[in-house]
Amino acid sequence: MESLKDILSPDFLLRNSVYTSVLVGFACPLVGVFLVLRRLVFMGVALPQISSTGVAVALSLPVWLGLTVNSAEQHAHALAFIGSTGFTLVAILILALLERRGRGSAEGRLGTAYVVATALSILLLSKNRVAESGWLDLLKGEIITISNFDLGLTAVALACALMVLGLFNKELLLVSFDRAMAATLGKNVLFWDTVLFLLIGLTVSVAVLSVGPLIAFGFLLIPVLTAHLLARNMKWFVILASVLGGVGSFLGFWLAYQWDCPVGPTDVVLLGALYMLAFAVKKAVAL
Amino acid sequence: MNQSIITLENLAIGYDGQAVLSGISLTVARGSFTAILGANGTGKSTLLKTLLGLQPPVGGRLQIGADGVKPVFGYVPQAIQLDPLYPLTGYDVALMGTFGRVGPARFPSRAERDFVRECLHATAASGFAQKKFSQLSGGQKQRVLIARALATKPDILVLDEPTAGVDVAATHALLEFISQIHQERYLTVLLVTHDLPLVRKHAQQIIWLHGSAVLHGTVAELFTPERMAEILEMEVG
Repeated sequence: MESLKDILSPDFLLRNSVYTSVLVGFACPLVGVFLVLRRLVFMGVALPQISSTGVAVALSLPVWLGLTVNSAEQHAHALAFIGSTGFTLVAILILALLERRGRGSAEGRLGTAYVVATALSILLLSKNRVAESGWLDLLKGEIITISNFDLGLTAVALACALMVLGLFNKELLLVSFDRAMAATLGKNVLFWDTVLFLLIGLTVSVAVLSVGPLIAFGFLLIPVLTAHLLARNMKWFVILASVLGGVGSFLGFWLAYQWDCPVGPTDVVLLGALYMLAFAVKKAVAL
Repeated sequence: MNQSIITLENLAIGYDGQAVLSGISLTVARGSFTAILGANGTGKSTLLKTLLGLQPPVGGRLQIGADGVKPVFGYVPQAIQLDPLYPLTGYDVALMGTFGRVGPARFPSRAERDFVRECLHATAASGFAQKKFSQLSGGQKQRVLIARALATKPDILVLDEPTAGVDVAATHALLEFISQIHQERYLTVLLVTHDLPLVRKHAQQIIWLHGSAVLHGTVAELFTPERMAEILEMEVG
């Protein structure tokens, strides 16, 4: 319990990491709900990876342009944000456009995007020794070096996503569930699809900057699947997924601090354990 | 009864500029009950999508409504088209019918929510309101979807094979109910179906698609032995 007191203390050295982790934990499942319901889980895998490739490209730019290491480090956060957001938004809009046309294999496209993005990240990593250590931390999900700027950026971006989701939930739900009905009611399906995908892109890129691609995907998917096992209606499905993500991220941080483990992987393993527990409980109740 | 609510003049329908059917000229009267018949692949769904405005006509003229007033469509899709992954209740699904009147960033008022309950009651679907939509039977789902269509306060009720996957007893009950609300609310009904006995019993007008031809007429005109033999022979051929 001492470690819990440490974490909850306002003077805790890693408090920004706790806050960021919990914010990402609450926010990612809110957009993950739409990825799961629209059967775009592969997009949830590919987007964080594309986002981290964007970070890698952005951080390589100063090296390619021959800027000094100090100069590059000063602007590293801004560059990473631009790279992450830019790559994610462009990728999601292209993938959404191709999905809308409905030709070819969506899984194939997403799988290709994922594997090419991963390979590109590794290539860039191997060619940039300056940023190598920082990138590795990002890829492993080391949520320990969160600045006030990063925390603020995460909070603002996720608050925007939450507000848009709250205000336009019925439009986003309708175009996802029944596109033909939405069109007959005069809803602009393309516009609302774009809003949803931009929202997913923004949330994913901010989450990747904070916790890395693996953990971002974990938060996008696992709390949503767990909530889906338990929820009786849409409202509780969304609330439960978000609460599971937020609470899971806090508990994960606590366990990682207690046992001196990397935070991100601890979060994901804990979420996986909760999912299995929920599955077992549901099966037991059904019997 | 004779005022037309849908007018097709030399209409061509299809995808990507390629016509599936062309030269369609007919009118659908306000308050009529029209069945759209035809074998699979004859263009029923394409015609329906074009009428609903989901895809543009390839050519010709399509006029929906009269005097510049655009009618509201209450669309009832095949329940099988809706993904069972969504944990929506019957009430959640029916509430979507109000979304055309409730603008973005607004929520359905108490009056709208009460109206949705009335629609569920009218379709004998009140008992399914709090149940998961995905767990309802075919007939129960169709009742909820008809309640959703009624919640749009429609001028035209469009039903795409509402009895697909529904057992015989539920099919008869469903069609009796559709006929009843058609008469009570003076709704224009467009029904896509394969079920000829039901069409004979409930429909007034028929649009029959086969091959590259479109026949349009009353039940009495098209359901004569001579016309039926002609049509069925053409379909077999």
